[in-house]
Amino acid sequence: MEKLPLTEPVLLILLSLAAEPRHGYSILKDVDQMSGGRVVLSTGTLYGALRRLLEEGWIERLEQKDASRGKQAYRLTARGRGNLHSEVGRLKQLVRLGSLRIATREY
Amino acid sequence: MLAIYKHLLRLYPATHRRHFGEEMLAVFQELQADSTRIGASRQLRFYLRESGGLVIGALAEHWRQFLKRRLSVRNEFRFPKMTWVLMTIILAGVVMAIAKGEAISVSVPPMSPALPPIHPAHGLLSNWGLSFLIMYVIGVTIGGVVFFVRRSVGINASGEKF
Repeated sequence: MEKLPLTEPVLLILLSLAAEPRHGYSILKDVDQMSGGRVVLSTGTLYGALRRLLEEGWIERLEQKDASRGKQAYRLTARGRGNLHSEVGRLKQLVRLGSLRIATREY
Repeated sequence: MLAIYKHLLRLYPATHRRHFGEEMLAVFQELQADSTRIGASRQLRFYLRESGGLVIGALAEHWRQFLKRRLSVRNEFRFPKMTWVLMTIILAGVVMAIAKGEAISVSVPPMSPALPPIHPAHGLLSNWGLSFLIMYVIGVTIGGVVFFVRRSVGINASGEKF
């Protein structure tokens, strides 16, 4: 079960799907690019996370008639988008607080 | 490496393989094609990451399914809410009947002299009846224990694991 706060790989997977529906390979490449090569997921990690997110109803499989089994695309559901929004809000608040505290200490 | 990947994929539970097996293999093939363009050390890191990810992922899936199965078995043995309500009503009825009986026995004086003890031949249960009842209770208890143990280890009535 996915709980807030999210782990970094799960957050990056959700962010990757926030822009557009993607299939597994595209998600891996996007996560790699977004994190600047810091987070490189294996297929095992990716599909474990996708399975949990599917089960929780945060993402769904995009029904494509012409897609092969290896090219299944996933997209964010309204629930997943809401949870992602909450998590990004939490992180924003944390960054704002962190920046404020660091600034106070420096001056 | 593809053959090793396919072998490692078999470590996953069947349901996970059915849902994601082909996809995982297809994504791995694409990543492998990419890895031919990078250096040997990065290629080695890629293979190690994939192998490790599969083994850890498979273990996590088995653990998740084990927990899920245990939870479903526990739920089967849980009484529905209505049972608790009915049991409470019945218990309240029994307590009230006992209390009423005691009140009557106190208020009404004994009308007849005390009865002699009941002879075993005229009792509610004969020796054969009592033996049958004991055997029945033992049988039901053993049957229940065997059923519970089989469910706990994940074996259904036909002896197949699920």
